[in-house]
Amino acid sequence: MQGVVISNVVIGILATGVRLLAPFLFASIGEMFCQRSGVFNLGVEGIMMMGAFVGFFVTLRLGNPYLGVVMAILIGIALGLLMALVSVTMQAPQGISGIGLYMFCWGLSGLLFRIYVGFITSIEGFKPLPIPGLASIPVLGPILFQHNWLVYLSILLVPISWFVLFKTDWGLKVQAVGVTPQAADTLGVNVNAVRYQCLMLGGALAGLAGAFLTVGQANMYADNITAGRGFIAVALVYFGRWNPVGVLLGSLLFSMMNSLQLWLQVLGINFPYEFAVILPYVVTIAALAVAVRHVWAPTALGKPFRRESI
Amino acid sequence: MNKFTKVLTAAIVLGLFVGVCVLGGFVEANNKVRIALVLASTTDDMAWSQSMYEALLALEEQMGKDNLELVVSERLENPVDAGAAIRQYADQGFDIVIAHGAQFQSVVFEVAEDFPETSFAYGSAFKTGPNVFAYEPLAQQGAYLNGLLAGYMTKTGVVAIVGPVESGDAVKYNYGFEQGVKAANPDVNFRIAYTGSFGDVVGAGELAKIHMDAGADFLTGSAQQAVGAVRACAERSGVYWMSTDMDQSSLAPDTVLAAQVYHWDKLVAEMLELRKQGIRGGKHLYLSFVDDSLEFRINPRLADRIPADIMEKIEKAKQDIVDGTLVIELPGGTK
Repeated sequence: MQGVVISNVVIGILATGVRLLAPFLFASIGEMFCQRSGVFNLGVEGIMMMGAFVGFFVTLRLGNPYLGVVMAILIGIALGLLMALVSVTMQAPQGISGIGLYMFCWGLSGLLFRIYVGFITSIEGFKPLPIPGLASIPVLGPILFQHNWLVYLSILLVPISWFVLFKTDWGLKVQAVGVTPQAADTLGVNVNAVRYQCLMLGGALAGLAGAFLTVGQANMYADNITAGRGFIAVALVYFGRWNPVGVLLGSLLFSMMNSLQLWLQVLGINFPYEFAVILPYVVTIAALAVAVRHVWAPTALGKPFRRESI
Repeated sequence: MNKFTKVLTAAIVLGLFVGVCVLGGFVEANNKVRIALVLASTTDDMAWSQSMYEALLALEEQMGKDNLELVVSERLENPVDAGAAIRQYADQGFDIVIAHGAQFQSVVFEVAEDFPETSFAYGSAFKTGPNVFAYEPLAQQGAYLNGLLAGYMTKTGVVAIVGPVESGDAVKYNYGFEQGVKAANPDVNFRIAYTGSFGDVVGAGELAKIHMDAGADFLTGSAQQAVGAVRACAERSGVYWMSTDMDQSSLAPDTVLAAQVYHWDKLVAEMLELRKQGIRGGKHLYLSFVDDSLEFRINPRLADRIPADIMEKIEKAKQDIVDGTLVIELPGGTK
């Protein structure tokens, strides 16, 4: 009996951890592409807020969460374009423009919610979609295969983004632009165009991450719904050393620790809750400090590209 | 930026500045009472902030817009930003500035010294000053009834709290709730966990899901984060939510069984009355069952699910609280 209960708890911890993973994976893989191309987008948190609002709002009005996700991705692309315009074309300092974008979206999402909705209400989001055959496997089934489709998509995104980044022409261009933009330029790569594309991709994924919160997790919208998750996603890119597999490991560590601490509290393990709440952050920082010895970063990260400066 | 753009920008900034100053100068002083409300979250958070905002709107309705002017500043989570707003309102001659959060204590006292004619109010707290009212809901009272109801009605024998941060009202609420649960049935497995945030609705939803996965069928929790948990509970059948701060049944009509509702309007009306008598602060005001400023409300849609004998016990406990024969214990250091 005791054994059954313990195994249920372990399955619960792991399944919750997988569910918590998705928004971080979407946002940090998007941000990884931005940073690989040399642009540091701190506006992810804000784009997530707008994605969260738009995903919620479209679902509320049209009753279709799929359409909500599509619109959230589109608004993410638009905001990525805005960031590109400011930081790539106008060459504004990236840290400041990212924070500016975050504040803009924070204000705008709150304003739009106030004008067009005005009160807290709930929506019918995505239901879990157990994968036939796999969902009934003992232990692994409930952990991995009984989530909504966006969770599966977020995990699939890891191999896809790895392939795109390391095995396609475009991925190689992204890497080149983020390390030696001058050389890439000499070879005929349009540096700014690649950066625009990455920021749009990053925006799309941040919008999707936001929509996940409202249509895939909370099934509602409230002010400041992202609660700092976008900033954590930026940190996870550093943790993952600009590699999709690293980003997955970082996100997994953070989400699993978060799930573990919530379960520890729920089960009444005698542990001050303040320590429980900070556990995911502490463990992630500790892992970062211990594991990342040789910090490699895209060398052109944060530097606007100027052809005349060769 | 060329010279023309620079001049234009300077002109616009100057124009706006002059405009604001001129408008500010035209603010008339008449007999109407002017109340400013400073909130850490928003007027639509369906919890702490909204309960105060709606009460003030009700008061405005009652007194007439000609007699009461109400302005609100939202999202001032950071006490430094809130302090700037509080000072500006005092400077603009507002009669009462309400800073709706315990975290505003130090900034309220700092500003209050410079504006002795203005009344300031903040809470939940108990420290007062010559022109500072402190207020608090006796959250443990409704919490006890919520807990009692949950303790009597739980089928799984597991009752849980989705807490924000262990401070202020949440502490009083959680203590009261736990005592209610234990009074109804000492064998109930009572669980408590915190999200570590007042506003993380997604986190609260996840915590509620974990509580339910671990067997809880009656849940509760305070602060604006709780709405995420309410929504998560609404997705499962046989699970009930007990509200506090305000009635959250509109969000989940088949899940919210009962609610502790704050009627701040009575408390603010009391402040206005005191001001008329020339008392600008120094009082510690409560929301309590004693004067109906605290209400325990059963969701009428679900009322028939509560057996009559349990309802009687709830009514009796409420009466005992009013009479003072039932005192809910609070941890040392909490009022």
